[in-house]
Amino acid sequence: MKKTFILIFTIFISFSFVKTSLADVYGPYPITLQGYDGDKTNSVKYTGQMARHALHDSLKALVKTGDVSKMMAYYNGEDNLEIIAPKSKDDFVVKQTMISEIGSGNLSGKMYKGYIPGWGNLTGPEAIEHMMTKAGEVEGGFDPDTGMDYTQLISKFAMGAVFYNQAVNNYLGKKMEIGQKPNNKPYKDGAYYTGKEHSWDEAFGYWGSAAHALTLNAEENYNVAKKKDMASADYNGDGVVDLYSEYTYAHAYYASSYDKGGKTNYLATINQAFINGREIIRDADGRNLSFDERTKLLAKRDVIRDNWQKVIAESVFKYAGSTYKDLVKLETIMEANGDTTEAFRTYAKHWGELKGFALALQCGPDDLGETAVKMNRMMGFGPVLLNSSQVVGVDSQGNFIKDQAQDWSEFKLHMLKIQKLMEDEFGVTAKSKDMLSDMADLSGKIGSADSAEND
Amino acid sequence: MELITEYITGISNQFFDPKKRVFLIYILLSILIAFFWFVFYKKKSLLSSFKKIFDKKVFFSTSSKSDYKVFLINQMIMMLISPFLITQLAIATTLYFYFHTINWLSVGMYSNTLPIVFISLFTIFQFTLDDFSKFIIHRFMHKWPILWSIHKVHHSATTLTPMTVFRTHPLEGIIFSIRSSVTQAVSISVFFFLFGNSVDLFTILGVNIFVFLFNIFGSNLRHSHIGIRYWQWLEHILISPAQHQLHHSIAREHHDKNFGSALACWDWMFGSLHHSIEFENLQIGIKKNQIENSHSLSSLYVGPLIEINNFIIKKFLKTKSKFIELFSKTGLVNDNKIN
Repeated sequence: MKKTFILIFTIFISFSFVKTSLADVYGPYPITLQGYDGDKTNSVKYTGQMARHALHDSLKALVKTGDVSKMMAYYNGEDNLEIIAPKSKDDFVVKQTMISEIGSGNLSGKMYKGYIPGWGNLTGPEAIEHMMTKAGEVEGGFDPDTGMDYTQLISKFAMGAVFYNQAVNNYLGKKMEIGQKPNNKPYKDGAYYTGKEHSWDEAFGYWGSAAHALTLNAEENYNVAKKKDMASADYNGDGVVDLYSEYTYAHAYYASSYDKGGKTNYLATINQAFINGREIIRDADGRNLSFDERTKLLAKRDVIRDNWQKVIAESVFKYAGSTYKDLVKLETIMEANGDTTEAFRTYAKHWGELKGFALALQCGPDDLGETAVKMNRMMGFGPVLLNSSQVVGVDSQGNFIKDQAQDWSEFKLHMLKIQKLMEDEFGVTAKSKDMLSDMADLSGKIGSADSAEND
Repeated sequence: MELITEYITGISNQFFDPKKRVFLIYILLSILIAFFWFVFYKKKSLLSSFKKIFDKKVFFSTSSKSDYKVFLINQMIMMLISPFLITQLAIATTLYFYFHTINWLSVGMYSNTLPIVFISLFTIFQFTLDDFSKFIIHRFMHKWPILWSIHKVHHSATTLTPMTVFRTHPLEGIIFSIRSSVTQAVSISVFFFLFGNSVDLFTILGVNIFVFLFNIFGSNLRHSHIGIRYWQWLEHILISPAQHQLHHSIAREHHDKNFGSALACWDWMFGSLHHSIEFENLQIGIKKNQIENSHSLSSLYVGPLIEINNFIIKKFLKTKSKFIELFSKTGLVNDNKIN
């Protein structure tokens, strides 16, 4: 009797453990499509999204070559493309070497199609193609005459215009609406997954985290993206990192970078919401979602959208702070008549990241209205240059128009105001490179006079 | 429930937080100083010193009991009001932003200064500016009738105990809170802008070192019946407890003297310094034969509001009659109609 009890208890505990650990991993999920009689057992598939992450990483690495045709090949997702990034590094061995080994897809067809007010009112595809063309005209993807760092601009903008846009506007937006991609039908003819299953999976793919991200802490997820932690990446223990499911990309990487500071928990929050949402769909077992199920699913969707938007806003905040610091440093060097080359390059890089993330933020479902106008104006079309000029627009031929820049001090102030804007409008809390945090700390140290006292 | 917890925490913080005036250690040190004063300077026995310091007539007077009640009530009022008051950080941020627009200033222009220099400068500046602002606001509280109506609540105390600092009308509490926010914001923003992000404060137990010294050297004796005096030369620089007690005296010659908080030099500069005097029983309050009712809660809380209202009405009527007089002289108003 006692032995039976111990056996049952052990089985129960083991089962609970397996269930808990599986709940921390996105997939596999069973086939629920009614009438499916094929041999598939896992309904999860987001290979196209992970292929796009590899296309994006490779495109980013290519910008500095200035080879526009190669850039376009990755942008358009042509056949037989080698993975340029991420590649194996030391003991961090990557499983795939070709994009097609992950999946198929392109970036061009998934770009945000709306206007990009921060980039001369071009449409999304026009803006990124303009950037790539310009990158082809300069050395190493950087134009010292305009301060444009195309590696950063293209990468950060593409992350928003493709991944964020597709996930939040399309798969978690339009395709979550009633009547769109119903759960009692295949996603498309011949598919083994339902409409809602696949829509949700595709959004998860664009998010860019490893499927087992919840089993890791923020630092470990961050180190996976940095190719520093093979043990954490190789979840199935096959000795290689599968770029489909075991790697951290794009905004998921930025989320981990903020979370490791300890003030936020974006990556875990988003991944948990993705898993919980997917379980709601799984539990519907191939029938249309009930009102209650749909309400719960949309609540998870909102968690994902809000936190994803915050991750991008945190990035705008961070790079506005970096740019501010660079401006102060440049000012000091100029006053001492020193060599500004290196400091200017760093400044341009940080401004490029700021601009790219700011453009990305505008590719979401919300019309940011006044916030977008303020943000775009304050950071300018281009960075303020050392000769007090600045790119202010683009002509019909795609050439940059330069004019008298914002005042140097005013530009610095704008960086601080951008940080404040991100705090006020998006409630950022990680606040990396917060230029006012020391002031806030000192203010807290002095304390406030909140009791009525007469001296 | 949360509100009650916050309220109780707020009350206990007053006695357990070194940033607060009535932090128990400061009170204890004040008692020791008082003993020292009586035993070594006044040559009194320990027992008679004890009786003098813990005088029942002082601590359980009607006036003191009102102080305790006001303390408890104000704690709740300020707790509800303070979230709506502007913070020093909000003002400091606005000022810091503003400094960026001044052409002849550049951020971190003195950031190469040795940290010990700018931290010392900041610690002194913050303390001095704060003390000066207390002096100047206090002066206004006495000189402007509306403000005096509010400040009178504090002066209506007829016995002084360390808890008399809390005998303050909530409106005055708001004024002091704004004063504190503004002065701190000015010092923080100016120093951060000029010296960069390493600006800090020299502190002991988290308190500005000068404020700490002020508190351990008997700041609580200012509001007490123990008339500790300093040397005359020192009373030009630091306000002695007896000097502040004299500020509470009803004697005509003591009116509008010694507005300072820690430093006496402001009074010296503005001509309101009065040295301490030797006294056994200084008569404290607003006027002779002050009515007992002046300690009632309604009198303390509503009294100033009625006075302000009456003052405004009186001013309005006076201005109105002046206008009528002016217009009747110019013939714009028919005299018959006025009558």
